Parts: sequence; structure tokens; C-alpha cells
Amino acid sequence: MVQHRLPMIPSAGEVSWVASINGVKKQLNIENNAILLDVLRDKAGSLGTKRGCDMGTCGCCSVLINGEPRLSCLTLAAEAEGYEITTVEGLADGHHLHPIQEMFAECGGSQCGFCTPGFLVVSSALLEENPSPSDEEIKTAIEGNLCRCTGYQQIVDSVRAASAILTSGESVEDSTSPKSDPHPGFSGE
Amino acid sequence: MSKDENEDEMVGYRQQPGKLPFAKPGSGGKDRFSRPTDQEMIPESQGGELAQPWGSHRHDNLVSGQVIGKATALVDGRWKVTGQAQYGDDIRLPGELIGRIIRSPHHYARVLSVDFSKALEVPGVVAIATGADAENKFGVLPVTKDEHAMAVEKVRHVGDLVACVAAEDEATAREAERLIEVEYEILDSIHDMRDGLQDSDLPIHDRGKYHIGEANVQKRVFQEFGDVDGIEENAIASHKENWLFAGVNHAATEPHAVVANWDPAGRLTLYTPQQVPHYVHRALADVLEIPMHQINVHRTFVGGGFGGKSDPFPHEMCSAILARKSGRPVRITFDREEVYWINRGRHPSRIEMNLHADSQGRICGIETDALIDGGGFASFGHVTTYYNGVLHTAPYEIGAFHYTGARVWTNKPASGAMRGHGAVNSRCAVETGLDDLAEKLSVDPIDLRLANLLPPHSATITGFRVTSIGMRECLERVKKESGWDEKFRKMPLGKGIGIGCGFFISGSGLPIHWDPNKFPHATVHLKIDMDGGVTVHTGAAEIGQGSDTVVAQSVAEVLGLPLDLIRIRSKESDTSPVDLGSYSSRVTFMNANAAISAAMQIRDELLDATAEITGAKREKLVIGDRRIFAKNDPAVGVSYLEALHKAQEDRGALVASGAYRTPPMGRTHKGAAAGLAPAYSFSAYVAEVSVDVETGQTKVEKVWAAHDCGKALNPLAVKGQIIGSCHMGMGQVLSEEMKYGRSGHLMNPDLLDYKIPSVHEMPEVVPIIVESNDPEGPFGAKEAGEGPLLPILPAVCNAVYDAVGVRTAELPITPERLLRIIERKCKAEGVDDPIKLPSPRLEYSELQAVLSKRAEEHAKRDLERRLNDNRQPYHNGALFGLDPTTPPDEVDQKWAVNVIPSEEYLSDPRLAGSAWKHTERRHRGDS
Ligand code: FES
Ligand code: FES
Repeated sequence: MVQHRLPMIPSAGEVSWVASINGVKKQLNIENNAILLDVLRDKAGSLGTKRGCDMGTCGCCSVLINGEPRLSCLTLAAEAEGYEITTVEGLADGHHLHPIQEMFAECGGSQCGFCTPGFLVVSSALLEENPSPSDEEIKTAIEGNLCRCTGYQQIVDSVRAASAILTSGESVEDSTSPKSDPHPGFSGE
Repeated sequence: MSKDENEDEMVGYRQQPGKLPFAKPGSGGKDRFSRPTDQEMIPESQGGELAQPWGSHRHDNLVSGQVIGKATALVDGRWKVTGQAQYGDDIRLPGELIGRIIRSPHHYARVLSVDFSKALEVPGVVAIATGADAENKFGVLPVTKDEHAMAVEKVRHVGDLVACVAAEDEATAREAERLIEVEYEILDSIHDMRDGLQDSDLPIHDRGKYHIGEANVQKRVFQEFGDVDGIEENAIASHKENWLFAGVNHAATEPHAVVANWDPAGRLTLYTPQQVPHYVHRALADVLEIPMHQINVHRTFVGGGFGGKSDPFPHEMCSAILARKSGRPVRITFDREEVYWINRGRHPSRIEMNLHADSQGRICGIETDALIDGGGFASFGHVTTYYNGVLHTAPYEIGAFHYTGARVWTNKPASGAMRGHGAVNSRCAVETGLDDLAEKLSVDPIDLRLANLLPPHSATITGFRVTSIGMRECLERVKKESGWDEKFRKMPLGKGIGIGCGFFISGSGLPIHWDPNKFPHATVHLKIDMDGGVTVHTGAAEIGQGSDTVVAQSVAEVLGLPLDLIRIRSKESDTSPVDLGSYSSRVTFMNANAAISAAMQIRDELLDATAEITGAKREKLVIGDRRIFAKNDPAVGVSYLEALHKAQEDRGALVASGAYRTPPMGRTHKGAAAGLAPAYSFSAYVAEVSVDVETGQTKVEKVWAAHDCGKALNPLAVKGQIIGSCHMGMGQVLSEEMKYGRSGHLMNPDLLDYKIPSVHEMPEVVPIIVESNDPEGPFGAKEAGEGPLLPILPAVCNAVYDAVGVRTAELPITPERLLRIIERKCKAEGVDDPIKLPSPRLEYSELQAVLSKRAEEHAKRDLERRLNDNRQPYHNGALFGLDPTTPPDEVDQKWAVNVIPSEEYLSDPRLAGSAWKHTERRHRGDS
């Protein structure tokens, strides 16, 4: 049987590694041949970045390196040394979700949700570059990501809806704002 | 006179608009005024504006206009989009060890010895276990428990489990894995499912006295219903095809993962992404030899199930065993490749399909023979073997049904349940067969179907009780919206359009592992304390399909609450009532029904309390948005919280338990329970494709997908299920295939060579929701998760025929395969270039008018039956002139119900039917 999990080359020992993860500078001790996905999940606590295949086929592990979408399972941590890394955990502004997150939740872009972090990261980069993409442009941006649940249609809908929010300049409500009052007054209908 | 006699005179508690009488602990928040009831959501039967063309429903009076029927975001969606949803591998407990599994490199071998002494010496290796550590068998079906945590005596396929190891980190565990020495005696393996039918020196399993011959036949089925002997005489046109379906894997994006932890009190918590936590719970107790109450099964978020996470798995046992041995939590996560070793995907199948039509264009016979390749273990296979037959006895009224099915063991990873369980392949064969029959009869294939549908509230030939049917509407809608009449058999070469239908169970009537008379199928608990929030405890496994959402919606609707007041606790067996799990499309139907019945109890208490406070008559009270008030005078009423506090006065938090059980149904022949369901879903798809005749490349351009889900409780989720089903079915029909090489080795255990459609292969899907208002479904709902997968396969196959005039009987339709068929066709037609091939065209025969007329009459019949409560029974067979009110076999000698093959049949059986040539050991003299 084949072993897909890297690294297959023995490591030459631990090194100190520095990168900015979701805006926070981190210094970690890692094996010098460590894969970025492993570092993010096992050392940096970014469990939102998912492992689906370890070989670049599913896109679940997508992250942004200096704003560019990258497959973290095919990236040596050393290659990202010193760069800005953005994972799904870094998209929201506190309790204000990024419109792309809000819309994936609202428009059916996420069913089981396992592929979702990858799609979010990739499409947030698209919207950053091109705030009002066409459907074809959306599809091209997400072509490296597999989703087994949605059939992609509601994912494209979600990106389109997020783009509408972004271009209108609205922001998403703070999720900690008060919820419904169980003791409402009579509206006099 | 008393106030009772004067409706308008309400006394007591009258609230001025806008005024809150007094603050209450627990109140505050946004939306401080109750929203006026949305009359468009209130059914006509309750005086609202929601049209009910399919009649009223027993849950109509529970509709408060809150959420049912409105596109609703999944209640757990926020966790998923922020990366905070914890899937199997995201459970990280302090002090965890990493587990790895040692797997067989051989197809079939005896394990002579396992030497792990070297591995144990590696620093950081903490525990190693082998088959000897847990010898008890388990399996998802109690009748076919044939799995061990790790090999006891034999390994049965490449990737079968031999041992497992837990170490401080992954690298150490992998190193130990390499050092474990296993001595095997290699045995003769079998790979072709046809070989499984033959006697063998060493069958893959030994079923003792129940063993069928000395063969590898795990299950065989023989069924005959109706006028089987008359088929030949009645038929004027027949279709025959031998199909070969490749095995298909669920390919969920999340590879399996599990974490086991024994707490200081000696209880085991197993964290696992499971569709069916309850069966794991049982299996763990068996394997670990501890009582069930010593185990807490914690379902994590599930990164895609589709049936692939619905067996209790050996790696789940391994993690528990390793954690017990090591005294520390153990996490095991699969590589993608291991997902294919555990498999449980759709069975590779050989299906012979024979369809017959008589002079009236009636389907006078379906004869199916299905040989399915179960791989190394039984899994759900017992049921799959039945489903390959019985699930195509509807939606059509048929004159005779003959089914022979057999499931064999081979030395492949085990097949099991996958979305559309057991129905997908044979449905594809039936629906393409009908297309061919229509071609032979020179009639339109949609009209052929419309003239042969069972009416609502009827019984199939096998005795299934079918309640609501929206099949006719599905067909009519896709026909119209796709522009069928302008396109079918009229497009140029390389462009085609095709139809396919589906029929699927909405929950299984007789649950496995259960005594239906003693336990309900689903139970939901509610708890509401003074804060007004509703805690819902349910064991239904949320796997991304939205089961948490649908149960929240049901409770919210009945109690008139916004969804933010509902919180779902569905993860742990310690706190959730038992639910049979997310399989056979049972959750919406059963769990939402249970939730409604629990919520109704709370509702009653709130109404009583309101009547007491306001002095209004209880029957006059209705529930609206967070308020309970008199229907004719909304000012007389109280807020939800006021009513709640009143109801809590003497007893504190309100609690309620609701449950669902199926009604008694079905017949009594052997196997009669397989395929029984409290309701069935129906679907019809039209697919438009283009085929490049020079390369054989097929592209699906657009799909019109109509599905009858009874009532779309959450239209957003229903559409998502329809489109997602299209994706999965399209994969199977065009590109997905578990490829086994000449030596029987699986060649593509990865997502590079196992090709699931990417965004570019997906066509535009137009989801069309048909709501047939099922009388027993929650608010009328039925399933939408699996049924929508069935029609896409035949729709594409039929469209390919319309495009190039060739039929394929082997899936997937890869370009190479199709090209080969096109080349053969060119030779047969004597054309030198495929672009010169003629496109199929259709000239109606006289039968077309007969069918159109009958379809019209039946449309009237169906309308009458669905709206009239005093309907007569309707048994399959009426179309053939028999009395609809009695099962035909009770009135007509010719109509058979037969589950044992005759001597005559056995003298010349079909392929799977030949499994009946063997005699069970217990019936042979020699044992
Ligand atoms: S895990 Fe990186 S692409 Fe699949
Ligand atoms: S939502 Fe499940 S894989 Fe995309």
C-alpha cells in the first residue's frame, strides 16, 4: 500500500519558525521538513483548516499565503516562513462574520461543512481581488475545491450574494447582539 | 347569559397594542413586538391564505407561520463557516495518543502470527492490540454479524485490519506500524462476483448450518408476484439488457476519524463522525464486553456521510481498545486511501433487466436478476439484496414482477449502504429499459410512464402501502419546463434529452436492531426553563443534511417561536434519547414527527395557562409569534413568557417527550418487510446532454429535477439535497468507478483517479419541488435526501441515446467506453465518420393515442383519490382488469406470491438466480 502522508523524508531536526497567522505573529518549534497543514492543525491550533486528502486533490486545506490561495498540504512550512497566513479562523472581524461566511451559512453554501473552510478562504481571496465576479470567474476560482454535498450551485449562489453585500458596503450584524424577546408586546395587528 | 354564549365578549386580560404590562425575568432582547401572523403561511383549512391543492393536513392547526416552508439557514451553519465545527480529527484531548492501523497487504490470507516485540521497543510506542484482544463479532445487522475489531484467523481483503498501535505521535506510530511483523499464509482469493456463486474450498465466511452450499453467497432472494406465467403471452414488446455497474465510493470530504477516552470513573466516551451513533453504541458494548450504560457515544460534526459512516467500524473498536490498554485518549484518523479500504460504497453489480409491455401499453412484466458484489463483509448487504428488487415495484402499476437477487462475498473492501441504497443501479436499468420499450412501441417515454402510474393511496404489487404520490406532477413539471416536446428526438446529432424517474423509501418501516412493538423509532425530549429557551434533545445524527434544523423548525413552528430560542443538543448518547440514525432517509419523517408530538404537549400546557390568565376559552386561543391570543380578538392574550411562567408555577421547567412509531403495514411473505416505509418519495428528472461523437465525451448541460418531498419544510435544504444528489449521481454515471486491476487490486484509492465531478462538470440544475402533502409526514413532509439521486443516472443514459443513438449498459459512461460503442455503431451502420450517424427520431404509433387518453383519465382518477377521504382501496392489478379492492392473489389464481424457486426455474436459472441451486448446510444430509 502507498503511504500518501508526507513527510516521507526523515527530518533533520527541529527549527524555530516564524509566521504571522491570522494577524498574530507566531514563533513555533517545528520539524524542518514539516508540512504547513500539520503545523497549522497540530501546532498553531487552526483546526478549522481541514485535511481531506494530503495530496492536493480536495482543496479542504486551502489557506491564504500573503493573500494568495495555497494548498497547505502541498506546502512546506519552511516555504511560508515569515509570511502572512490566513486561515478560515482569520476571516471574521471578531463577531462580525465576513460576508462570505454569512452568505455560505444563509444560502446553502455549506452542508456538512467540511469543505467550507477551503471554499471560504479561496472565495474571499477572489472577492478581495474582484469584488463583483461573474459566475464563470467564481467557478474558476473554486475549481480546485471539491464539495461532495452541495453540487456547487448554492456555493456559487453564496459567493454571488457575498459579492452583492461587499459591493453595497453593508456589514454583517454582530452575532452577539441581543436575540428575540420572549416577552413581546402586542403589535395591534 | 354566560360569556360562553357570546363570542365577542372576551373578558379579563386585554393588552393594549404596544404596551408591555410588566417586565419579566428572562425577557429583553430584540423584536419587542410580536409580529402579526403571516397569513400567507397559514393553511386555507385554518382560515389563512396558503393554498392547499392537495387537501388539508392533520398538522395544519399547528402552523403558526414561523419557519416551516421558509428557506432557513442551517442552525449549526455558523460553526461551520467559522472553522469552529469539530469533526472527528478536531477532537484533541489532553494527553492524547495517535493510533495507526496495520492493514493486510493480501487479498485473502490466514494470519499465522503477529510479532510486535520490535515495535514495542520503539520509544514512544504505548500500546499495541491485535485480533486476540477482542474476539467478539459485530456488524450493523444483527443477523449478519461477521466483523472483528481486527483479524481473527483471516484477512479478507487488502486493507483489512490486522493490528493497531498507539504512540506519542504520528511519526512514531508509523514507525511502529512498519516494525510489526505479520506472517500470512496466502489463500486463493476471488474477485469476480460471478465466481462467488460457485462452491469454494474455503468460503470467505462460514455461516455454519446456514451456509449456502459451500459457496460465497451471503444472501439470496427469490420473489414472484402477479401473472408471471402470462408475461410471454401478453407481451407485444420486450426489453432485455445486461448491465454492469462499477462500485462507487461515497467520497465524503472528511476521512473517517475517531477518538476514544475512558474517564476516571471507567466510562468510555467515543467521539466519532457517525450517521448511526446508536449502532456503534451497541457494537462497542458487544466487543468491549461492557454494558451500554458504561459508554457515551459522542457524535462529532460529520464531514459527509452518504451511508459511508453508517456501519459500526472496526477502527472505532480499535481506538477504544487502545485507549483502554494505554490509559490515555487515542485518536485515529484515516488517510484518504484508508477510506477506500473501509469502503461500504455502492455494490458493483451485474443486473439483467427484462421489461415487457402489452398491447395496451401496460407494463405486463418486470423481470430482474441482480448479482451484487458485497466484498469482504456483510454490512447492510442483506437489505441491499432485497432493495435491488423491491424498490422498483413502484411508481408503475405492473402485471408481474419476478426478482432474483444474490449478494456474494469477494476479496474486495466491503460494499454497503450508499445514498439511494440498493435502488440506484436497478432503477437505472428499469428507467433506461422503459425508454427502450417506448422506442419499440413508438410512443413518447413520458406518456408511457404517465399512463402506468399507481394512484395515491394504493398498494404495490409487493404489498407496500403507498400514501401520497406526486409522481404525475413531477413528470408534468419537468416535461413542461424542459421544453420536452420541442426537443425529444428532434435535436441534432450530439445533442440529446432524456427522462428518468425515481421512487424511494422515507424511512424504513421495520428498523433493524429493534423490536418495533417495544420501542419507538425516534424520540425527542424538550425542556423549557424560565428563560424561555427551548432545549431539544434528539439523537438524530446531523450529518449536514439539516436534521438539527428541521427538528428546531418543527418545535419553533408549533410553539410560535423564532429559531434563536431553540437550541439543539443532539450529540451525546448520555443526553439524547435513542434515535436509529441518519440512514434510509428516515430523519425528517420520523424525528420531526417525534418533535411535533413533544412540542404539542408543551403547546397544550401553554394554552391551558393562557386560558387561565385571560379567562378566554381554550379552543379560541391560537399561537402566533411569541404570543398566545384569542383568534377573534388578538388583544386578548399573553406573551409566550407569561404563559410559560404560569405553566411553570407549580412544577418548574416544562419537559416533554415525543416519539414516533410506524403504523402496522405490509404483507407477510418472507422478506415482506424489506422496502416497507411509512411513506415514499417520487422524482422525475430531465437531463440535456451533449456528446462529442468523435471523442465519446459526454457533458450534462442542464437538468430539470422535480422531486416530491411531500412538503418542503426547508426549501433551501431540499434544493440543496436535490442538487447535491445530482452531483453524486452524475459522478456515478459519467466518471466515478472503483477500478480493480487484473490482480484484483484497487487502483484508484484517492481523489485524483477516483473522479468526483468538479464545479466545471456540474450542469445547471433546476430544482422543482412538488408537495404531495403526505398524510402521516410532519406537516406533510417526506424524504428528500436520497430519492433525488435515482433519476439522474437513467436520465443521462437516455439523453445519451437521444444524442447519438447508442445505449450503454456499463457505467460509468467514460469517453473510452462510449467511443467504443459509437465505433461499433458506425460499423453496423456502414458509416465511415461518426458525425454522419443518424440521430434517433420518433414517429408515433397508434398506441400513443391510447396512452395519452389513459394518462388523462388517470390524472382525473388520481385527483379524486387524493382529495377524497372516503377512497376505496386500490391494489396493483386494477389496471389489468382486476378488482382494485382486494389483493389480486386473493381473487385470481394466476396471480402468484412466491418466494421459493420452482424446480423448473432451477433447471435454467438466471445468473443471480443460480445461487438457489445451492442447498443450505442444515438442509443437506451431510452435515
Ligand atoms: S488536504 Fe490538501 S488538497 Fe486535500
Ligand atoms: S458541504 Fe459537505 S463537502 Fe461541501
